[in-house]
Amino acid sequence: MLRRFSLTTRLTVIYTLVSALVLLGMAWIIAMTVSRHFEELDGDTLLDKIHLIQGIVAKATSPIDLRERLEDSLQNHPGLYVQIDDQAGASLFASSAFRFPDWLVRPPAGLSLQAVTTWRDGEQEYRALSALVPRHDPLGGDLRVWAALDTHHHADFIRSLQTTLWTYLALAAMLSGLLGWWVARTGLAPLRAMKTRAQAVTAHKLDERMPAEAVPIEMADLAESLNDMLARLQKDFQRLSEFSSDLAHELRTPISNLMTQTQVALSQPRNADTYRDILASNAEEFQRLARMVSDMLLLAKAEHGLLLPSAEDISLAAEAQALFDFYEALADEKGVSLNLTGEGYVKGDRLMLRRAISNLLSNALRYTPMQGQVRVEIGTTGALVSLSVENTGAEISPELLPRLFDRFFRADKSRSHPDSDGAGLGLSITRAIVQAHGGVAAVSSFDGKTRFTLSFPAR
Amino acid sequence: MKILIVEDEAKTGNYLRQGLREAGFTVELTNNGEDGLHLALQGDHHLLILDVMLPGMNGWQVLQNLRRQGKEMPVLFLTARDQVEDRIKGLELGADDYLVKPFSFAELLARVRTILRRGRSGTEATTLQVADLGLDLLRRRVTRGGKRIDLTAKEFGLLELLMRRKGEVLPRSLIASQVWDMNFDSDTNVIEVAVRRLRAKIDDGFESKLIQTVRGMGYVLEESAGA
Repeated sequence: MLRRFSLTTRLTVIYTLVSALVLLGMAWIIAMTVSRHFEELDGDTLLDKIHLIQGIVAKATSPIDLRERLEDSLQNHPGLYVQIDDQAGASLFASSAFRFPDWLVRPPAGLSLQAVTTWRDGEQEYRALSALVPRHDPLGGDLRVWAALDTHHHADFIRSLQTTLWTYLALAAMLSGLLGWWVARTGLAPLRAMKTRAQAVTAHKLDERMPAEAVPIEMADLAESLNDMLARLQKDFQRLSEFSSDLAHELRTPISNLMTQTQVALSQPRNADTYRDILASNAEEFQRLARMVSDMLLLAKAEHGLLLPSAEDISLAAEAQALFDFYEALADEKGVSLNLTGEGYVKGDRLMLRRAISNLLSNALRYTPMQGQVRVEIGTTGALVSLSVENTGAEISPELLPRLFDRFFRADKSRSHPDSDGAGLGLSITRAIVQAHGGVAAVSSFDGKTRFTLSFPAR
Repeated sequence: MKILIVEDEAKTGNYLRQGLREAGFTVELTNNGEDGLHLALQGDHHLLILDVMLPGMNGWQVLQNLRRQGKEMPVLFLTARDQVEDRIKGLELGADDYLVKPFSFAELLARVRTILRRGRSGTEATTLQVADLGLDLLRRRVTRGGKRIDLTAKEFGLLELLMRRKGEVLPRSLIASQVWDMNFDSDTNVIEVAVRRLRAKIDDGFESKLIQTVRGMGYVLEESAGA
């Protein structure tokens, strides 16, 4: 639901809400303080009045005298109402036109009336205090005195203060919302700049980048991630176009050979055996082309993430052993010994893994000199299962090592290997398969040995 | 054995027909799905070779219709697309095999024979005999002209395959798949080497050579050596 709203709207709403909340708190504190202050003020006034009454009571000689004196004195105190009862509860004095509420005059048992009490009567607001005043006339005993103040001017003041506060609060919240909107718009300007930049990116203009240095730090991360993504896309795109041109280039030579051979053969009559030879040679060449095309397709699929290996439990040692059986004749022929040590299990696709290892083995056998050695070592270290294929033979120069997995790369272009008709795709396929299994392919070459290592995540 | 080919690419269709005829099959060819379905429903073909991409009704639809109407003859799909989903779809619909173009004719022929053989397995022979070469499956023993020949396990397997399918040209890929369970093309000449070594044990020192190389196609074991 919240996702529907723009970032600007969200920020504006949040700003407004927060400032309204803060202001509300402030207003409440102010209103509370003022009303408490008034309450104290009224309390003091009431206490003063009580003292005054106490003085009058002390001077009064009789109840009649007391009433007269009180009436006199109360005339100078507008808004002050008094009621005095004697011990028996009989009223000695009560201000005219004012009635103290019953709950105040006859409070329920246990309710103490030491503090200032506030109540409302219609529009009016009153505060009252009561006290026991000792009586000095012959009757003796204590008098219960109530004094009440009409505090409507304080209430009016508080009411108008509240109105002011509310108005200010509403205006200020609106203003800060407006401010928030403006801040959000300004703050998000770099985003719009990035958007404009992103719109400029097309297949032909993949070198466009986000202005990572020019945007705020929070967005620099995003801009850099986007730039990384663009860089990856650009790299992939470049690889793809290299791929197509490689393919065209690699196909050109054999097709040209086939065409020449066929046309030369057709240029004059020949005997059946010659035709058969030519056709057989063509067939071999075609098979090579067919294999190259399917290998290229496999790689293309791998690059598009379409190689979806099934997940069986595969014993690498069993696979290596099966491949040893397969290559046994070839190794025997060259007097090369095959050794297998260790064991490890991975989850993956049997056919693909077998093919990946097969490519390493055939590669190793191709470059191992007569009487050499090919060793396959399988091991588990932590969360990694690794399989390495090591062969004796000429080292590969370090600058060529990283390129070994490249398509169509042949370390030794001049020397032709009679036992090979590969197109230089084997190691690329191995790497693609390993990567499809979430693994890594690496190669090292030193001390007269070349070692390819495939590392897979353990099951 | 009658085979029906449904292939819209004229050249491919004609060569397939010619090749299969020369291999001894009776072949009918049509270039669209509707005719293919009609012919298949009317006829009594032992095998249907279906291109997936056909004008009108595609290969899958033809197969679906056939199966719905109770025709259970084996079907081999040919396709130029190699998508796993396609493969799965074909197999789910009840196809028996699946070949991706470009394929070699030797491969197709070998697969056709495999499919057709499936139906009539009958009793498995425990000994195989070609000319004076004998292979005893139970005792894992090979003799030629009465002389015992020692073979490794895989050589034995290779010879067994060649003998079981004597007279058929077996492409390298089929040999790799059947003997070593390697279902991909190796970029080495390992099959060549293996066959050469087997040949050295079987044929060296004998007048008639049984194992022949058919250039560009594969290997065949047969009695009447052409050369």
